[in-house]
Amino acid sequence: MDGDRRKVLRLIGKGSVLAAFLAQIGAAGRAFFPNVLYEPPSRFKIKRPDDYPDGYTLDAAHRLYVVRQKDAFHVISAVCTHLGCNVQWSDTEFDCPCHGSRFRPDGTVISGPAPRPLEWFATSVSPDGFLEVDSGTEVARGFRLIAGKGNA
Amino acid sequence: MADKLKALWRKTFWAWSPESERESSEAIVRNFWLHWFPAKVARASMDWNYSFWLGTASAALLLILTVTGVMLMFFYVPSTERAYGSIKDLEYAVSFGRLLRNQHRWAAEGMVAVVYIHMARVFFTGAYRGTRAINWVVGVVLFLSTLFLSFTGYLLPWDQLAFWAITVGTSIAKQAPLVGPTVQFILLGGHEIGQQTLLRFYVLHVFFLPVFVWVLFGYHMWRVRKDGGLAAIERVRDARTMIPKTTPASKSYSLFGITPGTSVQVMSSTGLEESDQVFSSPNMSRRIALVFLVVFNITLLAALLFNAPLEGLANPSVTPNPAKAPWYFVWLQELVASTTVRIGGFTVSGALLGGILLPGFLLGVLTLWPWLDRSPLRTQGRWLAPERKRQNVTFAVATLLIIVLIMVGVYLRGPYWRIYWPGQARPETPRLY
Repeated sequence: MDGDRRKVLRLIGKGSVLAAFLAQIGAAGRAFFPNVLYEPPSRFKIKRPDDYPDGYTLDAAHRLYVVRQKDAFHVISAVCTHLGCNVQWSDTEFDCPCHGSRFRPDGTVISGPAPRPLEWFATSVSPDGFLEVDSGTEVARGFRLIAGKGNA
Repeated sequence: MADKLKALWRKTFWAWSPESERESSEAIVRNFWLHWFPAKVARASMDWNYSFWLGTASAALLLILTVTGVMLMFFYVPSTERAYGSIKDLEYAVSFGRLLRNQHRWAAEGMVAVVYIHMARVFFTGAYRGTRAINWVVGVVLFLSTLFLSFTGYLLPWDQLAFWAITVGTSIAKQAPLVGPTVQFILLGGHEIGQQTLLRFYVLHVFFLPVFVWVLFGYHMWRVRKDGGLAAIERVRDARTMIPKTTPASKSYSLFGITPGTSVQVMSSTGLEESDQVFSSPNMSRRIALVFLVVFNITLLAALLFNAPLEGLANPSVTPNPAKAPWYFVWLQELVASTTVRIGGFTVSGALLGGILLPGFLLGVLTLWPWLDRSPLRTQGRWLAPERKRQNVTFAVATLLIIVLIMVGVYLRGPYWRIYWPGQARPETPRLY
């Protein structure tokens, strides 16, 4: 009886030390998941609609293409859906320099390893008249934003 | 004259010299520098034509990389703003800085190659049977660690190669089933490549991976000893145990002798005879020193003749066209570029198939090979044993395929990762850095 109590107490004693040790390892591991990210917002303003000519314009800083067809705008991501390189517009199609994926003007895949079409980003006009892109929100192909003052 | 000098040296610096086999052994195992060698090693283990000393060469490269790496740490700043500049400083402002970086770079690429060839040697000699299977697995882990070390290493200059290698590398990690996105998040230290990413890869490269490799290297060596030396000695052992010994004739019945006229026959625990072994110092220590010096001089020569590559400053807005991985990863780049499978509306990305599943499968087969090998045990320690022909051909063909993929990637791929045959004109692509 006395021995049993001693065993239990010993188990509690050793167990708590071990638990504290494991918890500390867990805490150290948790530190590798950042709580605060100093990253640019996924929603940002680009230029005014009329700053863009007709056709495909690269915004290299934001890694996207602004497409203008008269008054209709849409924004296609320049990030390849395969492994994240920047695709380049060649007047007829998008090409990826890393693994050779090719996309149609609407972002759908022609050939190559890309598993999905290029993303289309939700786009609006901000109150102060700039195009505003939300790279966190995808929209269907066929999305058009009517903006701009007349034909460019 | 030389003998007299030698005698003078002995008289001046040695109060004692070993006078028996036993004392010679003690002189080795009781010495701080030599105690990690066994007192004696089999001659067969030291045959240049058996092992080509590739393991020693790998260790020599690891030592060179550690020393040059620590020296580079005095000049390198792991900050996205200053990393590239500190490499430029090494090249143009630090005396012999470029040489230091070159030697580190070429030793690193050399280590990838030498470790692989070492593994091929072990495969072709079937030297992974029995207890040596564990060391084979350790070796596979060491090879993988070598690849990770080189990957984390070429990210540090923060040039275009570094940035796009991290982009592609962590995107592949993201494709891993279930844990992928979490792994990518931890590696990047966020959702995008930034300061946290560089710092994480830096600490991995200069601390965790080297310490891991050194510890595992120690274990690798310890196992070589505990497994009795290189598998080459199994040939000698077989020869020794298969030759019936002339047993001393005896006139009396011995305790062990079952029939009159035979006596006890004593065999060493290793199955080797005295004449099969020599003292590890100086026989092995001198060879190790020689291998180290040769390897060091080759890397130094490479460092003097060729400069380590450095691309433009990392630029997230522009991907180089084409963006090529270093040669030892190009075959993986070929795989991820060409293994996307489309069945109806269902798509399996090449990033998953060629980036994770296929290399994972190859790695699994490689790791488990000692247990897949059913050839007779007498093949161990023999180069290209006929009984293992099919296995050796399999390994050789797999290696050849990888080399072909590397050749295609390095020499034939042009802008937009398209094939351009030699002589075929490659289009000028805008290079905007």
